Amino acid sequence: MIRFLLRRCAQAVVVLLLVSVIVFCLLHLLPGGPARAILGVHATPTAVAAFNRENGLEGPLPVQYWHWLTGVLSGNLGFSYVQNESVASLLGQRLPKTAFLAGISVVLAVLIAVPVGFYQAVRRHRAGDYILTTVTLVLYSTPAFWVAIILIDVFAVRLHVVPAEAPQGSFSEVLSDPHALVLPVLTITLVTVAAFSRYIRSSVLDELAQEYVRMARSKGAGSRVILFGHVLRNAAGPVVTLLGLSLPFIVSGTLITEYVFNYPGVGLLAFNAATSQDYPVILGVVIVVAAATVVGSLLADITHAVLDPRVRTAAGIA
Amino acid sequence: MSEEKVQASGGPVLRVSGLDVDIRLPHSVVHAVQDVSLEVSRGETVGIVGESGCGKSTLGLALAGLLPPEAVARGSIKLGDRELVGLRERQLRAIRGTEVGIVFQDPMTSLNPTKRIGAQVGEALRLQRGASKSAALEAAADMLDRVGLPRPREQLSRFPHELSGGMRQRVVIAAALICEPGVLVADEPTTALDVTTQAQILELFDRLSDELGMATLLVTHDMGVVAGHADRVFVMYAGREAEAGGTQTIFDSPRHRYTGALLGSVLRMETPHRSRLGTIPGRPPDLTAPAAGCSFAPRCEAASDDCAAAPPAASADGNHRWSCLHPLDSETAQAPSGGTR
Amino acid sequence: MSLENVTTLGAAEVGPATDSQQPPGRLWLSTFARNRLAVIGLVVIVALLLFSFVGPLFYHTDQIHTRLAMETLPPGKGRPLGTDDVGYDELGRLMVGGQTMLEVAFGAAALAVVLGVLWGAVAGYVGGFIDGLMMRIVDALLAIPALLLLLFLATVFRPSVPILILVVGVTAWLVPARLIRAEALSLRSREYVLAAKTMGVRAPTIIFRHIITNSIGTILVNATFQIADAILVVAALSFLGLGIAPPATNWGAMLSDGLNFTYSGFWWLTYPPGVAIVLTVLAFNVVGDGLRDAFGLDSKHG
Repeated sequence: MIRFLLRRCAQAVVVLLLVSVIVFCLLHLLPGGPARAILGVHATPTAVAAFNRENGLEGPLPVQYWHWLTGVLSGNLGFSYVQNESVASLLGQRLPKTAFLAGISVVLAVLIAVPVGFYQAVRRHRAGDYILTTVTLVLYSTPAFWVAIILIDVFAVRLHVVPAEAPQGSFSEVLSDPHALVLPVLTITLVTVAAFSRYIRSSVLDELAQEYVRMARSKGAGSRVILFGHVLRNAAGPVVTLLGLSLPFIVSGTLITEYVFNYPGVGLLAFNAATSQDYPVILGVVIVVAAATVVGSLLADITHAVLDPRVRTAAGIA
Repeated sequence: MSEEKVQASGGPVLRVSGLDVDIRLPHSVVHAVQDVSLEVSRGETVGIVGESGCGKSTLGLALAGLLPPEAVARGSIKLGDRELVGLRERQLRAIRGTEVGIVFQDPMTSLNPTKRIGAQVGEALRLQRGASKSAALEAAADMLDRVGLPRPREQLSRFPHELSGGMRQRVVIAAALICEPGVLVADEPTTALDVTTQAQILELFDRLSDELGMATLLVTHDMGVVAGHADRVFVMYAGREAEAGGTQTIFDSPRHRYTGALLGSVLRMETPHRSRLGTIPGRPPDLTAPAAGCSFAPRCEAASDDCAAAPPAASADGNHRWSCLHPLDSETAQAPSGGTR
Repeated sequence: MSLENVTTLGAAEVGPATDSQQPPGRLWLSTFARNRLAVIGLVVIVALLLFSFVGPLFYHTDQIHTRLAMETLPPGKGRPLGTDDVGYDELGRLMVGGQTMLEVAFGAAALAVVLGVLWGAVAGYVGGFIDGLMMRIVDALLAIPALLLLLFLATVFRPSVPILILVVGVTAWLVPARLIRAEALSLRSREYVLAAKTMGVRAPTIIFRHIITNSIGTILVNATFQIADAILVVAALSFLGLGIAPPATNWGAMLSDGLNFTYSGFWWLTYPPGVAIVLTVLAFNVVGDGLRDAFGLDSKHG
């Protein structure tokens, strides 16, 4: 187990380093070079030179990379000339709000998808399964933004039970207005549940077809013992890994949701930065989100190894 | 096992009469088992032989009370005094593991990869007898010792993938026998194992059969398994009984044409150099549309018109039964098709 | 003859080998054909393809010149689905939008699958350090949020159909890479691969002739899901305003434009493109599921 942990952590470090290299390359692929891209096309050569000097953009590339990397690790994620604030500060304000939004939605999604997926698998080919399968399939095939708009239309515009826009302001202000959080959370949750329950259903079906289920039956186990004592544990492993792999999907969903509901989180920040060509912010968001995804995946894999001892001795990590 | 032993053991532990099992598929019905009758006594081992798809596995599942919901059974399966056919799921659950145990072919998939050995072996005790965790583990350690697993206590906390194939099969056997059922069904128990391990596991069955006095049903397609380890043989073809009798009798003087062909296709130590192994022409029959007459007739060289007319009635000679209109006699049995003796 | 001398050299399979009704290579076709839902999905896909590409040959509308005098008219005579906010006929727009959508989706999926399969097959077959490195690169790219990357790329490049195909394909090849790498890992120790190696067959040939051909099921299944995902991605990008410039359009852009008018009650501007998107994605997902069943793959594949 220890060897597995060490190996996985080492892999995660390598991946993070690669992410940093990729982001660094993106920075230098900007049209006209990073200085000109950030300062704008009208920047004078002196301003460009000054910028380069201040930000360690002189000298050979590997040196620049090292300078940049050490900066990032010590918290310097760049400066947004568009918003006149450091990227780190901007992210610091927004990250808790996005983490909260995504976190609640994912927890809810798991709490709903697991029982639903199990139910579908156990009642396979009966009415309940067909209805749920159809609903999740349709939901899964609908663009997230349309789901959001439909929810707004029904619950905010016609029924007036919740506001159409998300709460604004700081983290504590956002928390103090739970009504306005309902629709954003619901959007992400619904879209995620659709994806998860499909997978969980297949996973549970796969487990139920396994021979050890028949063996357990032959010892007198009933459905409840089989589901909770055997299948749950075995199906949980792949589900946890799925969670780890879905992080990019959840990030996309959150970004779109923040845009539709005007939620002051990292997603909206990134979108605004993209449209106003505020490159330091975009790249800062990319680094932070990527790092979070890598760490999240790592945690998911470790949990999977705890649940399934075979994973600990697996020769190759897929 | 001799006649006297059968009498002394107090009569059959398992008595099947006229068993039919149909499996209902979305667009057809598979008549997996048709009109099967057999008896097994304490301490006896009966080999149920036949090729893939002949219904022997379904028969095994029926005897263990593990038929899938799509299966419909008619007739009678009697475990002691208890009638199995017609029992509801809850009642069947009570006899599983306690009166009859079953061992499947592949020990790797029969064991839950995420649960420890000890827990899986003791599971039946906890489920059926309400044993506590520690009591079940104690009993599991005992049972693992009995099935010949080295250092049983250490194995309790290990996971299935840490053991070799042969050891895993022993674990499965221990799990099946922990409640000391009177009947053990072994469905192709050695097919997934290498030859040396096969021999060891079969010897284990012999030993346990003696020690625990249980009745064993060895379901297999392998005549070699049956030859060394079964007291009696029950040959199945297309869901029906083709021939049944003492092992020595069947091997020495098979009567049903199918049995003869089976024996002729098997390589033996005394098969002469450069002879050809016999094969059986044609294909196994479609069990969704059973023939009106003898199912083997299309592939039988001795078949005549009356073979196809109606299922042949059984002839018998003491304990030896066969359902063939043109049985092999002692001369033809000496010269199976394509080979020489 | 005594019984003790009867031994079997290996398990003697009794009886001749059964020959199945069809060679296994085509088995998946018949299994797929029996899945009614999947077949319906396939029919829907073909219908949509015909609608988008052949439709305009029969139903002529002007999709280049705007006619502001005819803006936002509800469905009526001569305009089965009404007109949009600059006077284009909505039904005709749906066809044109479908063309773009499907072109980009198929193109991006093809690109993603080709890139991913090559990457994954090489990594899985070669193994060792190279495999590790290649897969860490995949992990790193996967960690970077695709939508952000797409936003970034879309602001740098003016989007057109080829650019969209490139951009979407480049973020999508990671999943097939992982899948095929897993297949390659399990296939490379098969005996026919070892035999080929011993005979001196060179690695690229082995990879193509053995590894990739035997992963065709996984590849097909994933390709189908890729198309479905690409459609959703294009729709999302268009919604965020980063789609293709007019007069070209796609269903995502149509939906997004139409959403501006939800409160005005112009349902014909949102439901036709929206339903078109859902229907197409649904169809591809259902076909993907059917293919997965037909090839006997479990949920971890594709």
